[in-house]
Amino acid sequence: MKQQRLRYKLLALFVFCLFALLAVYGCYSILTYGNRWFASSRNPRVRAQKEQVAAGDILDRDGLLLATTDASGTRHYAEDEAVRRAMVHLLGDSEGQVSNGVEAFQTNYLYGFDDSLLDLAGGLVSGSPRTGNTVRLTVSAPLCAELAAAFDAHAGSAGKRGAAVVLNWKTGAVEALTSRPSFDPEAITAAIKGDPGQPFWNRATQAVIPPGSTFKVVAAAAALEQLSGIEEVSFTCTTDVLDFGDHVIADYGGGSHGTVRLREAFIQSCNKMFANVAVNVGWRGMLRTAERFGFNDNFLFRDLVVENSSYPTSAPSSYELAACGFGQSGIAATPLHLCMIAAGVANGGVMMEPRLLQEVTSASGRRKLSFSSSPYRTCMPASVAGKLQEYMRAVVTQGTGRQAAVSGLKVCGKTGTADSTLDGNPVTYGWFIGYLDEEDLPYAICVLVEDLDSGVSGGSAAAPIAADAFRWLRDHRTPEGGTAAP
Amino acid sequence: MRAEKRRDPGQRLTMVVCLFYFSAFLLLFLRDFVWQGLALAFAVPFTIFLSNRLLPKLFPADGLLLALAHFLCALGILVLYDTNPAYAYSQTVSYGVSVAAMFFCVWAVRIVRSRRIPVFFLAVLSLGLLAAPLVFGREIYGAKNWIFVGSVSVQPSEVVKLSLLVVLAYCMARRRFWSWFLFALGCLGLLMLQKDLGTALLYYSVGMLMFFASDGSVWILAAGTLGGAGAAVMGFRMFAHVKRRVAIWRNPWANYDGAGYQLVQGLMAIASGDLFGVGLGLGSPRTIPVYHTDFIYAVICEQFGMIFGLCVLAIYVALVWRGATIAMAARHSFHGLLALGATLMLGLQTFVIIGGVLKLIPLTGVTLPFISYGGSSLVSSMCLIGLIQGVASLNEDDLMEDTEIALGREEMSM
Repeated sequence: MKQQRLRYKLLALFVFCLFALLAVYGCYSILTYGNRWFASSRNPRVRAQKEQVAAGDILDRDGLLLATTDASGTRHYAEDEAVRRAMVHLLGDSEGQVSNGVEAFQTNYLYGFDDSLLDLAGGLVSGSPRTGNTVRLTVSAPLCAELAAAFDAHAGSAGKRGAAVVLNWKTGAVEALTSRPSFDPEAITAAIKGDPGQPFWNRATQAVIPPGSTFKVVAAAAALEQLSGIEEVSFTCTTDVLDFGDHVIADYGGGSHGTVRLREAFIQSCNKMFANVAVNVGWRGMLRTAERFGFNDNFLFRDLVVENSSYPTSAPSSYELAACGFGQSGIAATPLHLCMIAAGVANGGVMMEPRLLQEVTSASGRRKLSFSSSPYRTCMPASVAGKLQEYMRAVVTQGTGRQAAVSGLKVCGKTGTADSTLDGNPVTYGWFIGYLDEEDLPYAICVLVEDLDSGVSGGSAAAPIAADAFRWLRDHRTPEGGTAAP
Repeated sequence: MRAEKRRDPGQRLTMVVCLFYFSAFLLLFLRDFVWQGLALAFAVPFTIFLSNRLLPKLFPADGLLLALAHFLCALGILVLYDTNPAYAYSQTVSYGVSVAAMFFCVWAVRIVRSRRIPVFFLAVLSLGLLAAPLVFGREIYGAKNWIFVGSVSVQPSEVVKLSLLVVLAYCMARRRFWSWFLFALGCLGLLMLQKDLGTALLYYSVGMLMFFASDGSVWILAAGTLGGAGAAVMGFRMFAHVKRRVAIWRNPWANYDGAGYQLVQGLMAIASGDLFGVGLGLGSPRTIPVYHTDFIYAVICEQFGMIFGLCVLAIYVALVWRGATIAMAARHSFHGLLALGATLMLGLQTFVIIGGVLKLIPLTGVTLPFISYGGSSLVSSMCLIGLIQGVASLNEDDLMEDTEIALGREEMSM
């Protein structure tokens, strides 16, 4: 009987453990996913609140009005149509066609779900209809419009689908974000809804696309970190392709780069050299570095919903492993993630979490949230980041990224041209990722241009757009980080 | 003399619980101005108060256990009244019936002490009851586990829970392995035929843990766990609906308009409640399908918040703790196993359904004891409390007897 009592106690403890598991799991999921579940467009509570509460205003970093609710309860967006079109993916629209824009993801603030009893009582006293909180973002509306205009200004990207993101590499603040094709949220028509170009889709955060040669930043980081003396190893690149039986690896345009070392291979974007690098690092080493850069991670950023990037986790064939060296064969990332990678290099190997909210104030002017930056993860040692900074600078001064150069600024970057298929048709993606190596202008950029014409590369289609953005920042941003009047 | 010796924490708790429900129902009455609301504001606290006064007078029962169970029952009525008053009225009637049934169970446990239990008869009756829905029943939510007697519908698996515990505890205490084993196997088989997998899982784990408690063989426990896991894998391979359940559990958002709808709605309700809840009578809990039975925990979390949800979990933990304490104090193996089995039944059932709602484990359609809408469930949960109370009262009697004997000896020696 005494033994039996001991077992009773054991079983009771077992049930306690089950309940503890419930409690811990419940708290964990509410704290990590709560806002995502709540802000879901499927949540009927939000619809109910919309009938009682006027949504709060959305402002850009300098206080420009991006969205507001008029007296009749209709939602209106920025006055300038170019700004409206450039920012619609980031903000969302009143119909909810764009998923996970600020309008949807920040309903908690915009519709005052977080209002305390004090706020509610204040509203009752004043008697005016309830208004949600004002949300000020970190983005600059004119820069978003500038990015959108730059797409149309260059022959390689005019009329193409694509996306661009600018981050502050010191803080992670999203400085600008745009996606194309776009539409005017004040005039949503049936034609837009049926457009095969999917104008409602935010490509900057949702499109996972092969990164092509921009992935060489990660591959080079893996090599510099894991293969000692790799910088001295030279490789002779000829016009011959690397033959893997059913697949071959060639360089862009079938060219050759002669005898190169890692640095020259990076600057000239030599695929064959990087195929060798990937094979030498091995798939486990490559996977380890890629995951440290955020591939295969479940992105749960506070302010943004970002599709997860992927890197193959099962052992690849020798061709697939080699192709990983230049960002093909199953690797895919969003423009925002690639921008974070460029920002990580600029910031000495520390990636900051992208943040979008500058400040939230209640209708009565009480501040509820203000910007804070938080590191996402350390993706490489500072020494490796230092070498990559030098490589990326050389890409712009003497390599494939010369079209990103801007006078008076230390522009660093990496180009990429990736081949893939879309609905069975071959499609080419042009990339440029880069940053300004300037203390006063700590900005990183990623530009994606989809479906390039033949003969056009990331260096000729995407890099000029980055140059335009950097030029705009040089001309409009004061050293204190403010925006000068145009 | 007894009143001086025992300071019952249940009494004070009862007053607080009564006050809580009085104010909560009054609040809802002020919202709707329906006379039934006002009636409930008096009836529910009165029932709690009366039964907590009455039971200790009849039997030496455990007041704390009783107060906790009443709190949970009344919470169910409160939430049901807020979401759908018609459910609350019928639940109130079931509540009254269940309190009477609990008294009966206490009495039954006390009376059988001096008599032999007709286990064979109980076993045959249970198997007959479990087979009845297969013959007479209709399929509801993909399972055929109800029988209809006139306008009243009964879920036999809820009733059989009680006889299962009695038979298992009786046979295990007497080490009659094959008797209970074959009986349990028969019950599980019939539940499988009804496709009531949640209840089958519950019966299986309670039976296995009770056997471990009586026998102490770690090897058999391990074999039972492995066998259960094996059966789960087999079920996953063989049955399409099990496969679908698991797929929904892995990612309910993949099909939020179809199969994953109720889980997604439940999660959104919990997320909307956040830590402190939207408030009693607010929010939109009725958008969750089956908000009144399986998903009632999500409704509680939406209205009262996650912190209150954790408190509800804590109340179940306290209940399990009281049950296990009473089981440990029992003098006879049969009584100990009976109280432990009833405790495990309540604890595991709560875990299975709340775990399903929180997406910790795949969702199986069992009710949340005491709280969920449903007469069968409420009555059987209160009967389980009755069994535990019965054992508690016997423990108390034994203790009294010991004291008297000891006192008698003292007198004799003087």
